[in-house]
Amino acid sequence: MATLLEVSGLNKHFGGLHAVKNVSLAVERGEVVGILGPNGAGKTTVYNLLTGFIAPDPGARIVFQGQSVLGLAPYRIAALGISRTFQLCRPFVGLSVLENVVVGALGAKASRGADLETRARLLLAQVGLSGKEGVPVEVLSYGDQRRLEIARALAAKPALLLLDEPFAGLGSAEIADLSALIRKVHGDEGLTVVLIEHKLREFMRLVDRVVALDFGEIIAEGLPDDIVRHPAVIEAYIGRDNDVSPAASSHAA
Amino acid sequence: MLEILIVGAVSSAIYAMLAVGFTLIFGVARVLNLAHGSFYALGAYGAYVLTSQLKLPLLPAALISIALVVVFGIVVERVFIRPMRKSQLAVLMITLAVALVVEQALFLTFGSEYRNVPAFIDAKFTIGGVNIAGARLLALGVGAVVIGALWLFIQHTRYGSAILAISQDPEAAQYMGIPSDRIFSVVMGISAALAAAAGILAGPFLTVQPTMWLLPIVKAFAIVVVGGLGSIPGSILAALMLGYAETIVGYTISTSWTEIVSVLATLLMLMFRPAGIFGRRAAF
Amino acid sequence: MFNKPVDLAGAAAFVALMAALPLVFPSNYLIGVLTVSVMYGIWAVTWDFMSGLTGRENFGHALFIGVGAYTAGFMNTTFGFNGWWSLPASMVMAVLFALLIGLPTLRLKGPYFALAMLSGSVIMQRLMLIFWESTGGEEGLNGLTPLIRSQVGFYYFALAVLVAITLLLMALARSHFGLILRAIRGDEATCQAAGINVTFYKIASLVISAAFAGAGGAMYAHYQLQVSPQLFAVVTSITIITMVYVGGMASIYGPVGGAILLVLLTELLRNFGEWRLMIYSCALILILFFLPGGLVAPTWRRLRAAWLRRAA
Repeated sequence: MATLLEVSGLNKHFGGLHAVKNVSLAVERGEVVGILGPNGAGKTTVYNLLTGFIAPDPGARIVFQGQSVLGLAPYRIAALGISRTFQLCRPFVGLSVLENVVVGALGAKASRGADLETRARLLLAQVGLSGKEGVPVEVLSYGDQRRLEIARALAAKPALLLLDEPFAGLGSAEIADLSALIRKVHGDEGLTVVLIEHKLREFMRLVDRVVALDFGEIIAEGLPDDIVRHPAVIEAYIGRDNDVSPAASSHAA
Repeated sequence: MLEILIVGAVSSAIYAMLAVGFTLIFGVARVLNLAHGSFYALGAYGAYVLTSQLKLPLLPAALISIALVVVFGIVVERVFIRPMRKSQLAVLMITLAVALVVEQALFLTFGSEYRNVPAFIDAKFTIGGVNIAGARLLALGVGAVVIGALWLFIQHTRYGSAILAISQDPEAAQYMGIPSDRIFSVVMGISAALAAAAGILAGPFLTVQPTMWLLPIVKAFAIVVVGGLGSIPGSILAALMLGYAETIVGYTISTSWTEIVSVLATLLMLMFRPAGIFGRRAAF
Repeated sequence: MFNKPVDLAGAAAFVALMAALPLVFPSNYLIGVLTVSVMYGIWAVTWDFMSGLTGRENFGHALFIGVGAYTAGFMNTTFGFNGWWSLPASMVMAVLFALLIGLPTLRLKGPYFALAMLSGSVIMQRLMLIFWESTGGEEGLNGLTPLIRSQVGFYYFALAVLVAITLLLMALARSHFGLILRAIRGDEATCQAAGINVTFYKIASLVISAAFAGAGGAMYAHYQLQVSPQLFAVVTSITIITMVYVGGMASIYGPVGGAILLVLLTELLRNFGEWRLMIYSCALILILFFLPGGLVAPTWRRLRAAWLRRAA
């Protein structure tokens, strides 16, 4: 089945605020899809709706690997094969780096019986955190915490990886490293990745196609180069963040 | 029937005064103060000491007692709650410890026998053929007036608006320059005053002994669960519901079963609608 | 669990000491104090297993103790069952109460669980008084038959139970189950995102905690040969929490030391009579402010590290 995730009619009202308006999208197996949008566009809300942390308004359809995940608890959806990271790093405080990754594997059915610790060490090596296994997460640098998040998300052997602003708070060297890591992981594990970002430069080189959101609705969809020139997208960005002006960054890139 | 109406109203008024203070603190500071029951106890004991030892007349004694409890409340907030505010559980623990210290202090000072808080009105009244103690009627009247005054305060003053703002969005309130810390102290003071007043009004007909702080906490918790944590109208409505439910059960079945009412109400609410009647979400 | 021989040595030394004391000082008074501290040790360890690991503090642990004790009391005095039947029965009753309160409240964020447990213990205490005709009211139930007639015999039995429960819970804590509980304390949302049924684990740990605490309650009932509403008191719950704080939260073994220390302290303060609880409560406040990491477990960890350095 080529279509991994199918979403249609996704809506969410918070009181009077229509935060997510009729979002529909389909993610094919093996794709890297980017979700672009200024702050407040509803990107994280879409993730929360997809992963069961918030309930969508009635009338939505969310089908993952042929199965509807509507109304399932977040842990169920995660166990089905969707791993997500959070906008602000949320590691398991009080546990070591290695333990964080081991817990990531504990919830998934794929890990029954396997030697979790060995796998966790491998994952840490993959993300570049070898040697830090025993370190308590509280003392990790933010960039390292981001890498740990990815290792933790991968530990569950997901089919679909949802990353929420993985580059937020990182310097340009760290962004390049993390971007390379995501590309590698996507290639090696054959993962399907959806990526929220509003830092365009790295994002554009990473993704196969882009879905642009503004005020909760999809304003454009297509290849990165096309999206960047799309009038609605440019309008959404002018006057918001300087470092995300599409025209400027495509000239500079 | 009329008797149930009035007695129920009296219970509701006392409960409302207790619950509103409890929920106000939560709405504003996202913490629950388990020493809230201590304010109730100290109000009653304060009135007792001032009238029987210092021989003050009742009204000034009541007012002074309330004032002292307000000061105590603000001290508790500054010294014990504020350093622990980052963790809801830490605040629960420390306020529980404070409540125990207060209980022991009262026990060591006054012993464990019941004490007598004099009633404002000793007379008994007859309304529609029902005998009602004046003290109970007063509790009802004062309670209603005080809650009404609080409601007006919140709706129509700048402090009130600040309180509402912080309840809805603490960060935004800070960005707008609202002095959150000062507001917390004010809210704590209001909360303590309400609880102390409840203690003084209820003192004549409810037991006054050192452990009297515990049951109000249990009842207040039940009420705010039913009404919705952080919602004042919710607390008032839930206080009415609980007060009447208990009274009706007391008259129709037996007084022994009134305790079960709050237990059942809490349990059912948590199972089916944890946010409460007027609560926004169950998770905070 | 016993990573190094020094751990095993430490545990063995502790058990040996506790076992030897009644032989060296054959005083009924001492054995009584030791027995009480062992009982509190059981309750403190069970509290730590759930609340210490998950971070969801239980303010009404006395509920399980009281339920266990009263179950034993009723089974023995009203229905004439032998004391040994009380143990499993009280575990079952405690588990039922744990589910009754835990199921609605542990899935919620916020103070609901803590306060519901507190309310539960208070209400049960009041119910025992209100329905005095069935429960004996203030006096409670009297005339239970002892589990083990000899005082020393019961002490060794209780000590064995304490050791068994502590070892079991320590093993669980260091297993994947315990890792998940600690992760829940770290961040519940991330646990959900990792596919973990957070509510199930919280309830499971509460059930385990309640079952053993209830068994302890039954044992205590058959030791004191009476049960009273005081068992449900808030003071009991708070004492247990204080013992865990002193012992070292989440260590599982620390609270045993905390229990012994505090029971000893209580005995030493006996001369202060009425001031005891006041001193206790003030001590708790001081601990919360200045010693939240505890005393026993950190001290042991330091001793252990020093020993390992010397041995290296």
